[in-house]
Amino acid sequence: MRSPNIAGGTYSLMIWTPIRPGAEDALRAHLEGLDRRSSPLATLPRTHMARWLIVPDMPVPPRTHLRDPLGNQYLLFTSNFDGDVDSYLHELVELMGEAAAIWSHCIGCPRPAEGAALKAYLHRNQVDSGFAFAAYGNASVAQIKTALDKRARLIDLVVRAQEMAPAERRTAFLKQFGSA
Amino acid sequence: MKLPAVLPDAPPSNVSGRTTSITLFTTQKWWGRFFMPFMFATSRAFPKALAAMDGLSFISFASWSLIRELPYNGPPQQVRRLRFAHLFFEVSFNGSWTQYIDSSVRVLTTGMYSFWSSSRSFPGPLPAAPFQAFFKDHEVDTSHYYCAYPEATVTTVRSALALEERLDMFAHRAENIPAAAFDAAWQAFLEHAQVHL
Amino acid sequence: MRPPAAPELELPDIQGDILRAYGNSYDRTSYAFVRVDGEPAQARAWFAGLLDHVTTAQPWRRKPLTTLNVALTASGLAALGLSDEAIGSFSHEFRQGMAARAELLGDTGPSAPSRWEEGLGSGDAHVLLTINAQTTADHRRALGKMQAAMQDAGGVGVLYQQDAELLHGAREHFGFADGFAQPAIGGATEDKTLGGGVPQKDGRWRPLAAGEFILGYPDEDSNVDRRRRLPPAPDGALGRNGTYMVWRKLHQDVVLWRRTIEGAAVRYPYGDARKLGAKVVGRWQDGTPLETHPHGPDPEFEPAARGANDFRYAADRDGRRCPLGAHVRRANPRDALGHAGKLSFRHRMIRRGMPYGPVLPDGVLDDDGAERGLVFVSFQASIFRQFEGVQTPWINDGNIFGLGTDKDFLLGDASGSGKMTIQGKQPFFLAPQQAFVVTRGGEYLFVPGIAGLRAIADGVAG
Repeated sequence: MRSPNIAGGTYSLMIWTPIRPGAEDALRAHLEGLDRRSSPLATLPRTHMARWLIVPDMPVPPRTHLRDPLGNQYLLFTSNFDGDVDSYLHELVELMGEAAAIWSHCIGCPRPAEGAALKAYLHRNQVDSGFAFAAYGNASVAQIKTALDKRARLIDLVVRAQEMAPAERRTAFLKQFGSA
Repeated sequence: MKLPAVLPDAPPSNVSGRTTSITLFTTQKWWGRFFMPFMFATSRAFPKALAAMDGLSFISFASWSLIRELPYNGPPQQVRRLRFAHLFFEVSFNGSWTQYIDSSVRVLTTGMYSFWSSSRSFPGPLPAAPFQAFFKDHEVDTSHYYCAYPEATVTTVRSALALEERLDMFAHRAENIPAAAFDAAWQAFLEHAQVHL
Repeated sequence: MRPPAAPELELPDIQGDILRAYGNSYDRTSYAFVRVDGEPAQARAWFAGLLDHVTTAQPWRRKPLTTLNVALTASGLAALGLSDEAIGSFSHEFRQGMAARAELLGDTGPSAPSRWEEGLGSGDAHVLLTINAQTTADHRRALGKMQAAMQDAGGVGVLYQQDAELLHGAREHFGFADGFAQPAIGGATEDKTLGGGVPQKDGRWRPLAAGEFILGYPDEDSNVDRRRRLPPAPDGALGRNGTYMVWRKLHQDVVLWRRTIEGAAVRYPYGDARKLGAKVVGRWQDGTPLETHPHGPDPEFEPAARGANDFRYAADRDGRRCPLGAHVRRANPRDALGHAGKLSFRHRMIRRGMPYGPVLPDGVLDDDGAERGLVFVSFQASIFRQFEGVQTPWINDGNIFGLGTDKDFLLGDASGSGKMTIQGKQPFFLAPQQAFVVTRGGEYLFVPGIAGLRAIADGVAG
């Protein structure tokens, strides 16, 4: 049966790791300090979107006292990426330099936090989705980026081409989009 | 010019370009632990059930999960099994979150009932204001959010993907037709491509 | 759930020109932003002196020669001595002020607050007096009285004044008839329901709940709420029968507009500059909607006639009649966003703007150096939902219309990279986006009901 984590061509991954007591503030500061424009997640080219969250506790329904203490704060990592989870985790531990710095704040994280040991740790802490939705079907990150770039270039050309003579238009088009 | 005393809001950590990510957890009523898996299975079996959401075209990814038990890593991790089941919901969308909620509660009203009915304190999808508060009350902050194509939106990505096929076909044709025939072919191409530009 | 009958609106307590426009006979307007320099108590004495002259929404037996309406900014509420707690009951965006929200509104580059006219957006504009008059003499007299009252009171003075005047044919400076398309408000302007209300699935229309525009009454959400809760409003008398106001001075570069459209029209395959201009706006200059008359204006068109705005976009999904990004289609999408108008009906505004500056005669393509444009004024129960909820996603963006990042070509923030697609068998492209309209300044204000004005004057909320 198809994994519930799969939507279209993408996989919806969720990893929960408890944070070492006392390390929560440092981890939060570290995550919030990450540069959004050169995110460590950019090292994983199969990633459409991904997030790190710190879950201090489950929210208590308003006007109730139904606390359900987690006991520890948790680091939640979620990711929507192309392809299978096994190779993705492999890439994560191999390519994301920040991975060690982030997950070493967590209970049970291997020391050193790298390689097969880190991969096994992350895999062990994966929680399945019940249901996942993805808007782009089977389109991969690379396909989407290429398509977006082509669209932008076509718009640019279409606007300029309006002012051109037909022969010039043809040349300009083939220059941009021809196979030569 | 004297600048205003109140400063503008800082850019939030759950926004990347034109996409926002929101994560929330709701505590389930006792029957939620049977009802939610049933909802998940139904949605997987009948993907058309989400056609309305798909049609709104501003949600790129969404996932739901029922959290009952957490993987155990030994002490000092304290809890393995939770007292209640909790519904995890994560969504990435374009536009402001109030726009997202406003659109969802009006257009996806039935779907909203289905997914949130077993959540404690769920006030119903309409009117929008109490539902917005319900959402906010259950939100967990995102510390870092990454999107591979931050300036794109669901409609531009879909347009780009649809356009690419047409464009590739036209480019191939353009190389193989006589130069004099290019303009007519170009106009025909544009007529169909315009809705994606 | 069937909506309940419209509640009785307390017209004597609501300020005038909100529910029903005063009308085109008041063709001279002054907007005077007053700054309080002195102590709150002193300012309140002056403020109290205004109250007997404030025009309400009560129907007239005889038209007054002039009208007066009063609005306040968040800093104005403070200057008149309102407590922090009371001010805290006003909406977040109102308290922040328009200048602080410039990014959101697309007021960047030449429209940025740092380039606004002296006084606007500075926090020093406290009270806005809007004076409408029927003749120049009446106008001058009213302004004189206003000045005299301020001098007598002391501690208050005019920080910034903008005079405006209706142009012939109720047009704005690009030549388009403006201001006649307004929302149909239950219990107040139901005559506008055909075309001005909420489009229903069966082809009919229904008016909007009054609470979308006046606080203290059920709004559209209240009508689907089992408990019929009212929308958030400032505490007590301050909020009841009041509304929020958006005021923006929009400079119009008429020469740039004419030159751009005429220049582009040379290549436009389907018509002349008039048609191209209509495609950008979504209406012909006389107000005829493009959607109903895609080839030329209707010589019989009466903008103020019942049903003049009775049209929808669902049959024009491709934008071949009225372009998907045309100004009026963006500002009021009706059923264009699908789902029986559910995504647009809570984003309507009452608009009461007035043009300012001398007319540039037809055909003139050289700048005369005169300042001209539109004072944009809107009234709504929620600035965030109804004004900003149009400005940000519909005017300054195109995503929801399937237009990517294309902005309203007429009005949108012009960083020079934008375009507009005029859909058609042979699509036509207008680019780059130009700064036809530049924001010269603006404020978010609150227009209290009469009891609210009195509460402020009496200092009871201090």
